[in-house]
Amino acid sequence: MPGDASRSAAAVWAILRKECRSEWRTRWGLNAALLFSVTTLTAVSFAVGRMPDRSDVLSALLWIVLLFASLASLAHAFVREVEGHTLSVLRLVASPTEIALGKLLFNLVFLLVLEIVTVPLFLTLMGAPPPRWGAFTSVLLLGTVGLAAAGTLIGALIAQTRSRGALFAAVSLPLLLPVLAAAVSGTRAQWAGGAIDAQVRMLASYALGVIAVSLMLYDHLWEE
Amino acid sequence: MSVAAAPLAVCALSLEARSLAHRYGSRRALERIDFTLEGNGVTAVTGPNGSGKSTLLRIIAGLLRPSEGEARLAVHGRTLCAGERRLGVGLAAPEMAFYEELSVEENLRFAAEARALSGAAARVATALQRVGLTARADDRVAALSSGMQQRLRVAFAILHAPPLLLLDEPGGHLDDEGRAAIERVIAEHAQSGHVLLATNDEREWRLAGRRIPLRGRGLGDPS
Amino acid sequence: MIARALLFVWIACAITAGFLWAPLVPVLGETTRVFYFHFPAALVTCLALGWSMVHSVLYLRSRDLVHDDHAAAAAELGLLFCVAATVSGSMWAKAMWGAYWNWDPRETSIFFLMLIYGAYLALRASIEDPVRRARLAAIYSSIAFVAVPFLVFVVPRIYFSLHPDPLINARGKPDMDWRIMVSAGAMLVGFTALFFWMLTLRVRVGRLARRLEDEAA
Repeated sequence: MPGDASRSAAAVWAILRKECRSEWRTRWGLNAALLFSVTTLTAVSFAVGRMPDRSDVLSALLWIVLLFASLASLAHAFVREVEGHTLSVLRLVASPTEIALGKLLFNLVFLLVLEIVTVPLFLTLMGAPPPRWGAFTSVLLLGTVGLAAAGTLIGALIAQTRSRGALFAAVSLPLLLPVLAAAVSGTRAQWAGGAIDAQVRMLASYALGVIAVSLMLYDHLWEE
Repeated sequence: MSVAAAPLAVCALSLEARSLAHRYGSRRALERIDFTLEGNGVTAVTGPNGSGKSTLLRIIAGLLRPSEGEARLAVHGRTLCAGERRLGVGLAAPEMAFYEELSVEENLRFAAEARALSGAAARVATALQRVGLTARADDRVAALSSGMQQRLRVAFAILHAPPLLLLDEPGGHLDDEGRAAIERVIAEHAQSGHVLLATNDEREWRLAGRRIPLRGRGLGDPS
Repeated sequence: MIARALLFVWIACAITAGFLWAPLVPVLGETTRVFYFHFPAALVTCLALGWSMVHSVLYLRSRDLVHDDHAAAAAELGLLFCVAATVSGSMWAKAMWGAYWNWDPRETSIFFLMLIYGAYLALRASIEDPVRRARLAAIYSSIAFVAVPFLVFVVPRIYFSLHPDPLINARGKPDMDWRIMVSAGAMLVGFTALFFWMLTLRVRVGRLARRLEDEAA
């Protein structure tokens, strides 16, 4: 028999593949999120025009677009299970922690796909290529992990309330704000040519902290 | 953790409910109950609508944390902890739905892979054949009739050859041929494990060697 | 009854002392008086948040709904003190800094606390079943516990604060007249007692409501 760890890894991997396949078949989650962020982007770009030399505005706008895309899409992974009445089946085949980790990975992949489309578009429309791609990408990636980690846990909570999706933005915002603050500050520093060590450390420790505490809490997620 | 793959023939199983009760808020869903099941066989849980048959099965399956008491499940003399429970039981209940955008086969494949079962493809094929759903394996779940979905639930429950099979209203929506298939599944499983049926249908509880009547008030008392 | 009357007299005396007995700080002038409300309210806000989070963790461990009552009541009262601290601080900021709101790091952190309290209570309000509500709220509270140090201590480090250090200055010595410190300390004791008195009331109400439901069922 495989050991517990490889067993759990198999479950997480199976859930991730199931999520991707379901999403690929229906595509409305990804389509809605892509349309949403492209619309926001166009509106923002149209309203402020090209401003390659305003790094403070640029970094704030970029992360507001990403934050809103996350708020609009991260709760989806769990809400879909509850609304389709498939949560019982899922809970019978995997432990709460395996389910939550599978969903976390899926949300991460989801956000990355979103960013592959959104971020280049943003940089082009604003006419501001980042001076240091390494610094820019590391802040972007760590920020994404932070958003996905906090969003996944709150999404699992929200899916069990009466209002489901409607409450997600309000309840997850306090947990996403540290990510927003550090990521905006890091992105701005990167454009301005300053050091980003402090922001990278903060993003990494926040993401790690949220994931570590989540691992202790996942077991309590579903009991009915 | 060899529970799921243990050969059924040697499964010594015992299920013990000790002052088990459940309530949702102030509404009693399951009146206090004590019972013990041991060895192979078929047992039926009966009682009026709202007496807590489904609630009892969900507690035993580990999906619901009871408000009072506990339901202990032991296989080979070893008590399964909360995390192992889902490996030792197979549940088919009417409120369970499958992923509509995936096919019947993909749904079961997913269940087998998430449980890290060996030989997933063969297990899926056998389970489908036992409930008579082989011909519809490649259809999307969204296209299944309610009777077909009920067969899929039973296939899902027996997929990992659990020592304890929990069937909630197993004959619901089924035609005669479907009922015959489910009765065969129950009879075969009773040779090597235990089947717990929740039903008020006489055709079904007649299959059982023992009945556990629930005393719940059902619809008799609106509170 | 006597305890309640004592608490009333105590807070009244502390307010009187702050207004009539304690001297004014030179630069701050009459706005010194805000301190006697602002400082204890802000500290009790943090105390209430901590109380709520500790009881959330205790609930997840023990599954005793009394802990949930504590967590919920502390959060409700915490929001009340948080609003008091924010409003009093904002009035002081208008007088000293020229605007009610400046996104000063201290203002930012208390705003975050208010958001967390608000989100916690909004989450609670949207779940009907008491057991589920207790469990999900406790999970939220535990995860918010990770965010609080970042919001309150780390994020403001990135910015520069104009907020006066409460009691200890840069040299590590009290920089205030002892009469100011006595008055503020008395107010802190009064506010803390007020918080715990209201907390026990809420917890008792919660327990009685549950017993009433039990008997009805």
